[in-house]
Amino acid sequence: MLDAAERISGAQIHQRSHGCAEVVIAAHANGARLERLAQAGSAKAILPRIHDPRPEVVFLNTSGGLTGGDTLRYALRLGDGLCATATTQTAERAYASTTGAAQANVDLKVGRGGWLDWLPQETILFQSSNLKRRIVIDLAEDAGCLFLETVILGRHAMGETITSARLDDRREIRRAGRPIWIDPLRLDPDSLGRTTSPALLGPGRAFATLVLVAPGAADALGPLRATLTVPGVEAAATAFEGRLVLRVLARDGLPLRRQIARAVACLRPGPLPRVWQYQD
Amino acid sequence: MIAVPSPPKASPGASLLAFQQWLSPAFPTGGFAYSQGMEGPMAARELRDAAGVGDYLADILRFGSGRVDATLLCHAALGDSDADALADLALALAPTAERLREIREIGAAITALTNALNGTAHPPRPHAVALGVAARGLDLPGAQLAAMFLQAQATTLVSAATRFIPLGQTEAQLALARLAPLILDLADEAARTPLEAIGSATFRADLASAAHETLDVRIFRT
Repeated sequence: MLDAAERISGAQIHQRSHGCAEVVIAAHANGARLERLAQAGSAKAILPRIHDPRPEVVFLNTSGGLTGGDTLRYALRLGDGLCATATTQTAERAYASTTGAAQANVDLKVGRGGWLDWLPQETILFQSSNLKRRIVIDLAEDAGCLFLETVILGRHAMGETITSARLDDRREIRRAGRPIWIDPLRLDPDSLGRTTSPALLGPGRAFATLVLVAPGAADALGPLRATLTVPGVEAAATAFEGRLVLRVLARDGLPLRRQIARAVACLRPGPLPRVWQYQD
Repeated sequence: MIAVPSPPKASPGASLLAFQQWLSPAFPTGGFAYSQGMEGPMAARELRDAAGVGDYLADILRFGSGRVDATLLCHAALGDSDADALADLALALAPTAERLREIREIGAAITALTNALNGTAHPPRPHAVALGVAARGLDLPGAQLAAMFLQAQATTLVSAATRFIPLGQTEAQLALARLAPLILDLADEAARTPLEAIGSATFRADLASAAHETLDVRIFRT
């Protein structure tokens, strides 16, 4: 669970944390059935409505954040024909690290005819943080997904400016084993320093990527573009080959969250995940 | 997969001339019609002088499509790499519909032309991969292929900016020439970068490429 090794990170003393939560759910005549739940260390999975026709899985990192040497893995496998939502209980925090990168892995598998909404809360990068993360959604031939990742640089309300942090965050969606969409986000002190660049983040400190993978995803392009009206955000959507991709950039988290909530509501009928701390 | 007998490698001198020919603006790939989404910031007057364009290109090369594509090119140029897997990877990495179309269309043109010149029968693959596969018959190190490719990419975009903004010819060429040290560093790095380490930070360039689809007036195809 926790290593005895202690180290200084900022003003706080952390213990190195490791966590792994694995969930396997199968479709069942009366909804869904939990086939496997394995939790170790700082990672937990909460299944508040497992027997609903569309169950929800909530992952949680009880260590409160990630720093150098920490490892965290969330895994979810959905059986054939099952549709589910997975999210995280709180924002993930990448804290200052003087001892290399924290390593996070998210492995999500969706069976034939299945569907996954991966709608985690944001990842907040603190000054001098160092996070390496690999997110893979493995879709069966005819499965689909809605995918969201949000990154916020520092806590705007606290007046933090992040000039030095590392994020190596590869988001990959595969269909039948072949990559169909990869977003290889990589931030480092050099790119973060280019705050006036029209090519990088500019003055933006909060950004999100939302991807819909489904046959006919392009049909949602018009309705999605119609939601891109929240003041204080730069947003643009594009659609190609069964993929719909929305990118949103803002100076801080508040307008970004409002825009994301509207966009998700447009692409996904029904209420937002209950654990989201923001609603439109 | 059909095995295509690989012809003997060209001499280093002949290789240099061949690769330069394939990267030349006169090589009919239609590359001049694309701006990789740069038309957006140019139209919004975020890019309006040679210094701004130079900085923008440096960012694109260093943190975005330049670094990504140069790495793909180096891997594709290795005779034992899986060109079809690299093609899948390149297509999956395309951030927008227009960038996907751009790498596909230019890649198809490069494949058709180099097949005709080299007597090969490669299937069409996206831009950087098609170029790398064609270069397998050349006797040039990966870093040199990458440097020439990156300079050609920068040349295409400088040319787009020169026409659009417009820039003076000399200041535009100065901005391009100033990228040389960066290009050499990036090329060297690309030849040593594993596929797993490919990364990009050009969020606003990707946003601009998506927004280009709905620009009222478009001079460039991307």
